[in-house]
Amino acid sequence: MNPFFFGTRQRRLFGVYTPGRATAAGAGTRAVVLCAPWGQEYLRAHRSLRQLGALLNQAGVHVLRFDYFGTGDSAGEMLDASLAGWEQDIETAIDELRDSTDAARVGLVGLRLGGTLAARVAQRRRKDVDALVLWDPVMSGEAYLRELLVDAPARAAGLSGGGHEVMGFALGEAMAAELQALAMPVQELPARTLVVRSVQGPGEPLGDLAVEQVEGQPAWLEDHHSGAGAVPVKVLQRIAQWWS
Amino acid sequence: MGVNEQVLRMGPRKALVGIVTPAVEAAGAGERPTVVVLNSGIIHRVGANRMSVQLCRALAGQGFHAVRFDLSGIGDSEPREDGLALLDGTLADIREALDTLEATRGCKRFVLVGLCSGADHAVVYAGRDPRVVGLVLLDPSIPHTPRYYLNHYARRATRLSSWMNIARGKHPLWQALGQRMGGGPAAEEAEEGARADLDTPQARAFLSQAYLAAQATGNHFLVVLTAEREDYHNYREQLLDAFPEVPFGDRLQLEYWEDTDHTFTPEGSRGRVVERIQVWLLAAIPG
Repeated sequence: MNPFFFGTRQRRLFGVYTPGRATAAGAGTRAVVLCAPWGQEYLRAHRSLRQLGALLNQAGVHVLRFDYFGTGDSAGEMLDASLAGWEQDIETAIDELRDSTDAARVGLVGLRLGGTLAARVAQRRRKDVDALVLWDPVMSGEAYLRELLVDAPARAAGLSGGGHEVMGFALGEAMAAELQALAMPVQELPARTLVVRSVQGPGEPLGDLAVEQVEGQPAWLEDHHSGAGAVPVKVLQRIAQWWS
Repeated sequence: MGVNEQVLRMGPRKALVGIVTPAVEAAGAGERPTVVVLNSGIIHRVGANRMSVQLCRALAGQGFHAVRFDLSGIGDSEPREDGLALLDGTLADIREALDTLEATRGCKRFVLVGLCSGADHAVVYAGRDPRVVGLVLLDPSIPHTPRYYLNHYARRATRLSSWMNIARGKHPLWQALGQRMGGGPAAEEAEEGARADLDTPQARAFLSQAYLAAQATGNHFLVVLTAEREDYHNYREQLLDAFPEVPFGDRLQLEYWEDTDHTFTPEGSRGRVVERIQVWLLAAIPG
C-alpha cells in the first residue's frame, strides 16, 4: 500500500496505490482507477472502495483510488471544485497509474457520481481506457441534483459561492449548474463495460448495455447510524471477478 | 491559505496512515503542542462532513502542526497483527502515532481531539501519556445522572404519547425512578438506543478513573456537548455531576450547544466548533 499525493502543486490529489498480486497467467499489467462518489456518499462508501481495491489486488489488478480536488484528503475546498475539474482529476489519476505500473491501458470503476464521471472520461480517453465498470451510476445529473436539493438549505448569507448545503457539504451554484447538465454517455464506451446495479427497482436503461442486478446493500448510504455504509460483499466480488 | 499536507505512515509497521498539516507559520510552532485528531467511530480520518480536514487546515493557519490519522483497521490503516483487544489496540495505536511524530517531527507535546468514540479514546489515553497536555472532547460518553432523567422525562411529559403511557403505568419514568430507588428492572432497556452499559458501576468507575488520570497529568479540557445527543446527555453540567470526584478546576471549558447536531453538519456549526477549538488552544494551552 502506498498512500501519497500526486498531481500538480495547484491541484494536489491524495491517492492510495495498492499493487496487484503477481499472477501466474501472465495476462499483462492490469490497472484500475477507482472513482468515488461525492459528499456523504463518498464518506459512506470509503470502506467498500478500499475493500474492492483489496479484492482487485488479489485478482492481480493494480489499483489507484483517490480523492477529487476539494474532497477527502486532497487539496482545495468544495467551492473551488467543479465536475470538469474532477474529470480532469480522473485523467491525472489515469496518467499516474500508467506511469507507476507501465500499464498501456487502464480500467475505470466508478460508483454513483464517480460512475458518470468515469464514463465521460472513458469516452474521451478511448485509447487509454479499455474497460469500465459503472456501479449504480448516476444516470441523470438533473434527477440527481433534484434529489440532493430536497430539504437542502440555502447557504447562509455571507458564505461565498451561494448555492446550497447538501448534508454538510457546500454545493455552489456553479457546480449545481454542471450537475443539471450532466448526462451519462451511452455511446462510444469501452467494449468491455459492466453495469452493476445493487439497488432494487426498474432502473434506467443504459443504451444497449446489459445491466446486472446484484444483491447487496447500497455502499453509499449510512448503515445503522455508524457513519459508514454497508460493504456489499456480493457486489464487490462480482466486480473483482469480472476483472479476473 | 497555503497548506502543504504530507502523508505520514506511523507505528513500527508503518501500518497507520496519517496526514500531517504543517503549521503555515512555522515560527513558534515548535513550542506549541501538535494537535492530533482521532477517528469518530468507523468514519475514516477526514471526519464526518470532512470536519477533521477543515480543522487541521484551520489550525495549521494558526501556527499549529495538525495530524489526522486512521486507527488500525479503519480507513486506510492496516489491522493490527498482535491480537490486542479493541480498546488496548486503539490505545497502542495512539501511542505509536505519537511516538512516530516525536521521532520524526520532534513533537513533544500533544493535544488530542475526538468526537464521540474519538473523545472517549482521547480521555482514556491521556492519563497514560504525559506528552498529552490537552483534550478536545466533542460529545464524549457521560453516564446518566438524576438531573439528566428529570430533564429527559420533563421534556417527554409534554408529548401525548408519553401521557398515554403514564396513564397505562408504562412510562419509563416510573421504571427509571423505581430503579434509582433500588428496585425494578433496568429502566434503560425501555430507552431507544440508550447506552445502558455506561450506567453500570464498572463503566462509571472506568470513565471516572480516566478523567481523574487525565486531570492528574495536567491536561486542559475543552468539552462540547451537543443537544442532539439528548439520549446521552442533556445539560451542560452533566459531566461534573457524573464525575464529582474529578477536580477539573479552571482547566475545564465546558459547553452545551443547543440546536447543534452530533456531527456538526451545517457549515455554521462546523465553523463555530473549529473556531472555538482554535481560540481555546491559543488561550488554554501554554506555549
